[in-house]
Amino acid sequence: MHFSLRLFTLLAGLSLAAASYAADTAPKLTTPDQLGPEVQQPIEFPHFRHAGDEKDGGMQINCMYCHTYARRSMVAGIPPVQKCIGCHQNLPSVRETPRIKTLFEYWDAKKPIPWKKVHDLPDFVRFNHERHIKRFYFQQDRPYQEVCGYCHGDVKTMTVARRQKPLTMGWCASCHQKDHPVSATSSETGHGPNDCFTCHK
Amino acid sequence: MSENDFNRRDFLKVLGAGGTAVALSGCGYTSIQNGEETVTSYVTPPSWEIPSIANYYNSTCAQCDAGCNIMVRVREGRALKAEGNASSPINRGKMCGLGQAGIQAHYNPDRVQKPLQNGKEISWDDALKLIGERLNGVKGEEIAFITGGMSGHAQALLGNYMDALGSKNRFAYEAVSPAVVRAANKKAYGVSMPRYRIDKAKVVVSFGADFLGAWVSPVYFSQQYAQFRKGTRPEGRGVLVQIEPKMTLTGANADRWIAVRPGTEGILALGLINALGSAGMKVPADIAAAAKDYTPERVGTDTGVPFDQINKLAALLKDRTPSLVLAGGAAEGYAHGSQNAIAIAMLNHVLGNVGKTVEAAAGVPMSQFAPVVGNRSNLAAVNEGLAAGKYKVVFTYAANPVYSAPAAMKFKDNFGKAGFKVALAQYLDETAKAADLVLPLDSAMEEWATMVPEYMAAPEGGYAESYAQLSFRQPVMNRLYPDTRGVGDILLALLKQRRADEYKGFDDFYAYLRSNVLKNKVAYGAGAKDDDDVFWNDTVSKGIVPLKGVAQKLANKASLAGVSLPGPAAADDSYPLRLIPAVSASIRDGRNANEPWLQESPDPLTTVVWDSWVEIHPKTAAKLGIVEGDVVEVTSRSGSIKAQAYLFPGLHPDAVSVPVGYGHEAMGRYAKGVGANVFGMLDPVFDKETGELALNETRVKITKTGERVIIVKEEGPVGGSQAGRKKISVKVSAAKVDLSKEV
Repeated sequence: MHFSLRLFTLLAGLSLAAASYAADTAPKLTTPDQLGPEVQQPIEFPHFRHAGDEKDGGMQINCMYCHTYARRSMVAGIPPVQKCIGCHQNLPSVRETPRIKTLFEYWDAKKPIPWKKVHDLPDFVRFNHERHIKRFYFQQDRPYQEVCGYCHGDVKTMTVARRQKPLTMGWCASCHQKDHPVSATSSETGHGPNDCFTCHK
Repeated sequence: MSENDFNRRDFLKVLGAGGTAVALSGCGYTSIQNGEETVTSYVTPPSWEIPSIANYYNSTCAQCDAGCNIMVRVREGRALKAEGNASSPINRGKMCGLGQAGIQAHYNPDRVQKPLQNGKEISWDDALKLIGERLNGVKGEEIAFITGGMSGHAQALLGNYMDALGSKNRFAYEAVSPAVVRAANKKAYGVSMPRYRIDKAKVVVSFGADFLGAWVSPVYFSQQYAQFRKGTRPEGRGVLVQIEPKMTLTGANADRWIAVRPGTEGILALGLINALGSAGMKVPADIAAAAKDYTPERVGTDTGVPFDQINKLAALLKDRTPSLVLAGGAAEGYAHGSQNAIAIAMLNHVLGNVGKTVEAAAGVPMSQFAPVVGNRSNLAAVNEGLAAGKYKVVFTYAANPVYSAPAAMKFKDNFGKAGFKVALAQYLDETAKAADLVLPLDSAMEEWATMVPEYMAAPEGGYAESYAQLSFRQPVMNRLYPDTRGVGDILLALLKQRRADEYKGFDDFYAYLRSNVLKNKVAYGAGAKDDDDVFWNDTVSKGIVPLKGVAQKLANKASLAGVSLPGPAAADDSYPLRLIPAVSASIRDGRNANEPWLQESPDPLTTVVWDSWVEIHPKTAAKLGIVEGDVVEVTSRSGSIKAQAYLFPGLHPDAVSVPVGYGHEAMGRYAKGVGANVFGMLDPVFDKETGELALNETRVKITKTGERVIIVKEEGPVGGSQAGRKKISVKVSAAKVDLSKEV
């Protein structure tokens, strides 16, 4: 009697643990966990107009169309002014709006726009965009908005981007410790590197 | 409970506050920031550049005259680090510390940023106009141009400019140059800078040639040396014997380091020839006759090298051929330096090395690009002219004679006599400070240039007699300061003042260089029908153009006629010691003294940093009562310096050694006031044949000043001594060593 009760308790405990683990792993992917301060930018760039869903009046442009270096390099890259102009010179409908006028002022003066860094890690941390995009976007074939959203939140609903996640080491590690499938088709899993030297070098 | 108000809680508070303060004052910031730093985007992104990913550009090192081919890592438009170009026959993908520091010549905060007239900034137009005005009505013979070593297209432009001025007064000057060896080689081998095959030699006997440290082309020689030391080589592992009064880096690597009495190197060489003859080697009759008086006994007395040591060395040389005998700085710095060098070169003839380990080198087919190498006799010549007030306008470029001329020459005063002095300078060094007009130069990371190395290395995997090369230097990043110009740009602008029609088609030196190269592209290995752009891009991206050089002929005979060697110098009671100015692998002649990495990297033998030092033999020091760190005054007949004493056993007891290149009075924050300038105190004694300054002819005395410092050095307080562990490394007297058995 004693024995079966004990077994029962153990099994119940285990399944409960498993359930809570599963609940834990269900990602709150793009929701804000810890909002950073609002940042004043030289141009109040409407991410929702460019990347937002069609039903919300967005154009569903891929993040990496503008942040073009993210898949090629450590840094995502702030889009060059030329990139903005590439489309906007063909969009007379918004040409006279205040933000676009400011944009063209920069372009005509051939001056870069002094954007403020929103996601600015300390100097001793090396975060590599390319690695993360390779893993989640190309290997696991997840939607790009979800992949970028792991760290940047649901940018497609924002105007000026605002930090959504803590971006602390503990927060990075919380994801690195989880098992992720290594590719879209594989049942094999693996977790992110846990070596100090990977980020601190 | 506690008598003390300062309880644990307060302590933790203080600790916490202190911790925060440390965190805040640390390097950079240590937590996530939002919206504080600016991230600047490109306006128009360059297609070849991805932020955070580096590009590499091939170029040519400008730190010394060896001309190693390099590739520079550039990220986001900033030059970060130089590496060796793997396809270079000279450095074969490697680089030295001096070359690495080149990046600091570029980012140096003390660079000249705008043309300066008597210290005031002026525009380029005004500067060029001023030169034009001051040259107006001045005759060709009243104009002088002092340069360092030069080659390539800038050298050709300078030649044209001197023609346009109608002046023949172009003086190439290098503070430390193997000028005596060049002249002796020309006599002995018929080629002033032959190819040495250290990699083929079974024995290398080097009379003070620091080929691993600072002599001619050290990175190239280091790689040959690596081959030379390989036991798996068909010739077996080579033996290196270094003969010099002051141990160099090469001496420290030698199997046997022989401290010869300074100035008697030639006697030792003839003694070796004589000993080789006695050992049964066939020596040409005239040479044997000239050397017959140099018996091992006599030579032993004169040179201080035990005579059985001489016999052993001769036996080793006879036993193992081919060998290679080199003459370097320590052997040439005397009034009879040329005699020494020829006597040493003669050994190669006697040993049959000429044609085996001494090979002819090729010259570049375009003679106008051939390197113009500097020497001290040119300095003496220009100094004479300046003293006589002959020159009204003087230009200087890549030479700093105000710093490196011996004080006895009074160069600074004589330079002041010239009416108008123009310095083309990257920094305000001593010479630029004394000039009326300073034209700011591009760094080697910003300029277009071509270069022909003086020592023409052979490509790997075989000896190509006719191999020659032209190296390209290209800007690897934009100018840090918009108002600097390359030397080619300046020469072109000056030429336009004289020959406007000829040069008006070229906006800048780049345009001139490109058009000149493309016009002669067939000579550079292109097909006549090849596309210009393709050929040019290919050339610049490779950085090296192999050329079919003009082969030179080696002389297969040479004689000792006219060689007369003085006996060991007589003792001088008032100045009992001989000063050996040392050329270190990093500071060299002082032109790079403002690069902190070079000041910071410890001297390979003494490990001293950021200062001059006086090497004194421990026995001599004991006699004078000097210990390490004593600040001593080294006095010669021509001047004196003060520096810290360093006791060093790798020195002939009659000699003291002080490194050159320190003690600048200008040249920016990293060079100014660091150490003492030994050039200034040298006696004006010159080699009788070449007129080269005899660096080692200065006699000095040493006195204690009473001050004592702790030497800043890498090695521990016990230094090179064995700290009582004499049983570990047993001292064997030189006479007991049998070289041929030992190695």
